[in-house]
Parts: sequence; structure tokens; C-alpha cells
Amino acid sequence: MRPPVTGGRGGGGFRGGRDGGGRGFGGGRSFGGGRSGDRGRSGPRGRGRGAPRGRGGPPRGGMKGGSKVIVEPHRHAGVFIAKGKEDALVTKNLVPGEAVYNEKRISVQNEDGTKVEYRVWNPFRSKLAAAILGGVDNIWIKPGAKVLYLGAASGTTVSHVSDLVGPEGCVYAVEFSHRSGRDLVNMAKKRTNVIPIIEDARHPAKYRMLVGMVDVIFSDVAQPDQARILALNASFFLKTGGHFVISIKANCIDSTVAAEAVFQSEVKKLQQEQFKPAEQVTLEPFERDHACVVGGYRMPKKQKTPAS
Amino acid sequence: MLVLFETSGGFALFKVLDEGKLSNVEDLGTEFYSAESARRMGLHKFLKNNCDDGEILAVADPKLGDIITEKLDIECVHNDAVMELLRGVRSQLTELLSGLDDNDLAPVSLELSHILARYKLKITSDKVETMIILSISLLDDLDKELNTYTTSVCELYGLHFPELANIVQDNILYAKVVKLMGNRINAATLDFSEILADEVEAELKEASMVSTRTEVSDLDLMHIQELCDQVLSIAEDKTLLCDDLKNKMNKIAPNLTALVGELVGARLISHCGSLWNLSKLPWSTIQILGAEKTLYKALKTKQATPKYGLIYHAPLVRQAAPENKGKIARSLAAKSALAIRCDAFGNGQDNTMGVESRLKLEARLRNLEGGDLGACEEEEEVNDKDTKKEADDEEEPKTEECSKKRKKEAELETVEDPAKKSKQEGVTGLLLLMLLISLIYFFSVNQLLW
Repeated sequence: MRPPVTGGRGGGGFRGGRDGGGRGFGGGRSFGGGRSGDRGRSGPRGRGRGAPRGRGGPPRGGMKGGSKVIVEPHRHAGVFIAKGKEDALVTKNLVPGEAVYNEKRISVQNEDGTKVEYRVWNPFRSKLAAAILGGVDNIWIKPGAKVLYLGAASGTTVSHVSDLVGPEGCVYAVEFSHRSGRDLVNMAKKRTNVIPIIEDARHPAKYRMLVGMVDVIFSDVAQPDQARILALNASFFLKTGGHFVISIKANCIDSTVAAEAVFQSEVKKLQQEQFKPAEQVTLEPFERDHACVVGGYRMPKKQKTPAS
Repeated sequence: MLVLFETSGGFALFKVLDEGKLSNVEDLGTEFYSAESARRMGLHKFLKNNCDDGEILAVADPKLGDIITEKLDIECVHNDAVMELLRGVRSQLTELLSGLDDNDLAPVSLELSHILARYKLKITSDKVETMIILSISLLDDLDKELNTYTTSVCELYGLHFPELANIVQDNILYAKVVKLMGNRINAATLDFSEILADEVEAELKEASMVSTRTEVSDLDLMHIQELCDQVLSIAEDKTLLCDDLKNKMNKIAPNLTALVGELVGARLISHCGSLWNLSKLPWSTIQILGAEKTLYKALKTKQATPKYGLIYHAPLVRQAAPENKGKIARSLAAKSALAIRCDAFGNGQDNTMGVESRLKLEARLRNLEGGDLGACEEEEEVNDKDTKKEADDEEEPKTEECSKKRKKEAELETVEDPAKKSKQEGVTGLLLLMLLISLIYFFSVNQLLW
């Protein structure tokens, strides 16, 4: 008589994030009741318990030196997926050999012998990466695009957007904090497609001479009046028929109301400002009470063709 | 109406031919769907000198409009219609301005943004920090060379006149004496008053008479004197470099310099790469900066971690007693962290904060060195949350130590006198007797009443 089949162990958890981390990738329940990948420890370098890091035993975890990794293009242009022991979101490094925030880098050799370097994009540190993994339909940031990035901080996500748009594109990174601004400027020195702007996003008139018309505005300012800030900047710089991506943190707008209600009210505010929100995704495994709204601006009205 | 449009490349002036279209703001955007429609609307490039009297100028910034009105007496306007107009111009700018391409504007925008960012963040273009890093590196190299050359001079001349090394112990003075004296026989006739003190000079002359070591050839002597020239030249360079470093450090980090001195401050900056990077570090890291190897070794072997790194060479730590070095290093690191941030982010270039901190630390050092009883009750100055925690953890053992000290002192103070002891016993006996009588009286009265 065969013994009963016990459930296999759940997949290794992706490392925990800033707010305690999310459930690990591949950490779903295994058949027969095996343990799933647990939530990571709090702190930016937490690791899901599903993938322990002991000194003994065989090496685990993906993207280690020497391990075989296959890089495939993602459905969003300019974004790639590195398939190893763990799948990871990556972007092609615009400045090979240079890391921006000590992120992992993957070097892949092409058929013709040339080496291409990719940088791992951590969704726990970047809301845009979290939105992509959350399954957003279109981020509108693609090679050759001009992007206005509001709330650039130290330039971690900006560097990945810079990789995304490539040398033909351009990223206008606006950040008001002088401390973060230093790191942003230092990063921009090496990436010529990033234009650092140390100004308050509430006053776009102050940087009107630096920014041209852009295809996309990405806003991550986490302010109660962020819809107004986005509208102001869009009226100055976003082209007609352009797109916006806004990250909304519910606690920043109203911590007393339910997150869903906050998201709804923000979407209404956007609609009043000539924006047309197309989709909304929550960043739940990676960020708590965050949502990402994507849509168009001053979308041209579709002309009805007369029936022949 | 004229429209003033600003770009990173310069200014452009456009003329609105059909002002009637400005009344409907919502539909204004449709006029800019293509360059052809924009041109049909009649926007033409004008030079600034073509701005006639009585013309209204549309501007993007109302403050700029006020200045133009004030300085040039040109009426300026700023409203929603103007904003839409400017938006339209921006969207078709490359088409409206002949000979202008997106590729022309991008590098100009990039350069201007970096210039503005540098100005706003007060990032100095002159590489003062780099110069400090190079200076301290060069200073170390000069020290090594100086040691090598002085050792060579001492060894070579020591064969001829070994007693000189005991008489003149300073390396630079030694080189000067050797250069002036040459052969030891000349010592009696030469005047060393400019270099040496009178008693040292007398001792030197006396020793040169009685010394009976090997003679030195003129060729060897010439080589030795050349080495002496090298030593003196390097010493002079080192002095100049130290002065230069002092000036640079007082300019870039006056508060840090006031606390730890120029050399230690420069080494800290050099270790981190820049003052900006150093300002990001917590005081606990600053304390052990430079002792990384020891730290990792201690963590691996589970031994005690180091108490100080580069900060050990600071004058305040050096003058502290061995048992107080750790405490002073910790306090100095905490104050240094504040001083560094003050230098990195502050606008002023004065060292008042550094001087005040130094005085406080000196007072604390005197307190520790004095070791008086009041030191137990005195609270430590705590700057960071970490130090507060540490202080809380240390509070209990400290109080225990203090109570132990006091007990010991009390024991020492009590005199072992038998007469005194018996007297004390008699007093206590009397007190007990009185207590007993009062109790009996109380009970008897109580019983009577009952």
C-alpha cells in the first residue's frame, strides 16, 4: 500500500518590501497542503521565508553569478523578463557596467557575441514596476517617448524609465527635495536622456523653459492635491491625446476613509480636469493601499463615419 | 497681441492675428492640431525690437509680466486663453520656428537644467573635495618618502658619527646638522646656534671630539648631503601642503575641522569620497570609519567590535586617558556627525557650532579625567536616538556602580573605635527600653478604659 502523498513545499518567496513585503512569487499553496512562500520580513531587504538563505545546502535563489538566465521581451516595449530560478523584471542598461542603487545586473551574450547588460527592476522599490507586475494594460512609456516624471526622488525608478525610453527618448525628472535632488543630478550626469529639474511640481511655470511637450506624465508625488498637480503640469506640457500614469497612496489623501473610496474620489477629480482614466490597478502585493491609474488627456473625439 | 514664448534656447515672439478666437478657450486647442492650421491662425515670429507701442504682450508668468510692464511700459496679459495659446505654440514649436529641431533643443535643455540644479543644490564646480582627497593622499606619500630618506641619512651618517642620533632626535634637524657639518671634524669650528639650542650644540661638539668611528670619504659625504637636501625639500613641500590643506578644510568643512582637526577631517572625507557621502553616515559609522577590517573580523569571531577608527587620531581622543578613550570617541563621533551635516547642508561658513561642541567635549573630558563623585549623577549628552537607547541600557549598571562606590566610601569613613561602638549600643538600648515602657503604658490604659 502506497503512503499518502504529502504536499510539496511552496515556491520561494520574492524578497520582502518596505511595508513588510508581499507574498512571494510562486508562493501559492501547493497541492496536498504544502507551505506557501510567506511574507518577507519588514525592511527593504526582507526575504520571504519560502526561500531561506542558510550557509549549508545547495545554493538557492535566482540571478546569481554564473547561473543560466534567459531574457525575454515583455509585452510592454523596453521591458524584459529574466527567467532563471526566479523570474525578474529587467530593463536594458543604458550605461553598461553602472548600477544606480546597487541593484543586480544580468549580462547576456547574444548570438553575434555581443554582451547586453540588464538591470533588475525591484517592484518593492518602484511603483511603476509594481504596476507592470500588477498587470496594467499599457504604461505608454516606450522607446523614443518623452516622459515628464513628477516626484523623481533619488532617481531609482527614473533610471529604469531612462532605460525604457532609450537614447532617442527623454525623461524630465522633477524633484523638490534638495537631498534627493543631489542623487538625482549625479545619476543624470551619467544618463544623458535624463533632465533633472529641482523645482516644486506645484509650480510648473518655474520650469516651463526646460520642458517641451511630452507624451506621458508619470506622477508619484504622494500629496493630498496630487490630482491638481498632475492637471497643472498636463495643461503646460502634456500633448493633446497624451497619456498619464498616476500612483495614488490612499493614506496621503485621507487616512480616515477606505482606500477604495479615496481612489474613486481621485478618479473623479481627474475626470473633471479633462483626463480620461482608462484603467486602475492596485499595487497590493508590493504596496499597501496604493493604486495606479492610467489614462489619456484631452482625447480627440471619435468622428462618426456616415453609414454608406 | 504678441505672445512671448520661452525655451531653454532663448526667447521667441509671436503675433496673434485673429484675436477673436481667444474668446473661446475650449476650442482654441483645435487650432494647433497641425503646423499648417497654426500658421493659418497667423502666428508669426517677431523679434523683440518689433514690439510696437500699444501692443499687448501675452506672457506665461504673471510675475514676469509685472516686471516687463514696469521696465518696458508694455502692457502684459496672463489668463487661461494665453495659457492655451502658449500650449499650442509649445506643441508646434519646431514647425513654427524655421531651422529649429528637437535635437537642437534637447542638449540646450540638458545643459541648462544641470546648471540650474548645480546652482540650487550649491554643488560647486571647483573640485575642492577632490583636491582635499588628493592632498591627503599626497601627504601620506610624502610622509613615507620622508621616513625612507631620513632612515637612509641616519644609517649612512651613523657609520661616521653614531652619537649624533642620540643628541639630535628630530629628523629634520638631523638632516640640517649633517648638511651643515659634513665631516664630524668640522663640528668644533661651526656655529649651530641657528639650528640647535646652546646646550645641545655644546654636547654635539663634545661628542664630535671623542667619537672614534669610521671615516667617511668626500664622495660618500656628498651623497649623504644630497639625501639631506631631498629630506629638507620634502619637509618643505609637506609644510606647504599642510597649510594648503588647512585652508581648504577651513573653507569646505569649518565645523568638522574645529572638532577633529584638519588631517582627521580630511581623512574622513577621503575615506567616504566626498563631504556629501560622509554627511549621510550615522555617528556610529563615523566612529569606526577606517577600522572596517577589525570590525568584520570581530563580527566573524564574535569578539568585541572596535571603539574607534580614523577618529582615534583626533586631538581630543589622543589626550584622553586609555579608559576614557572609547567614551570620548563616541561623543566626538556624535558631535562630528552633526558638524558634518552642518557643513554639508548649512549656508553659513562659520565654525561656531564646531567650536561650541569642542568646548563641551573638553569639559566632559575634564569631568571624566577628574573622576569626581558628581560624575555619577551627571547625565551624558545624547544626540541621536541610538545613543539615547544606549544611555538607557547603561543607566542601571551605572547607578549600581555609584551605590557600590558610596558603600565602600561609607565603610572607609566608619572608624573602628570600640568605645564609640559601646556608646552607640547604649543609646540604642535606651531607645528600646523607652519604646517598651510606652507600649506597656498604652496597653494598661486601653485595658482600664475597656
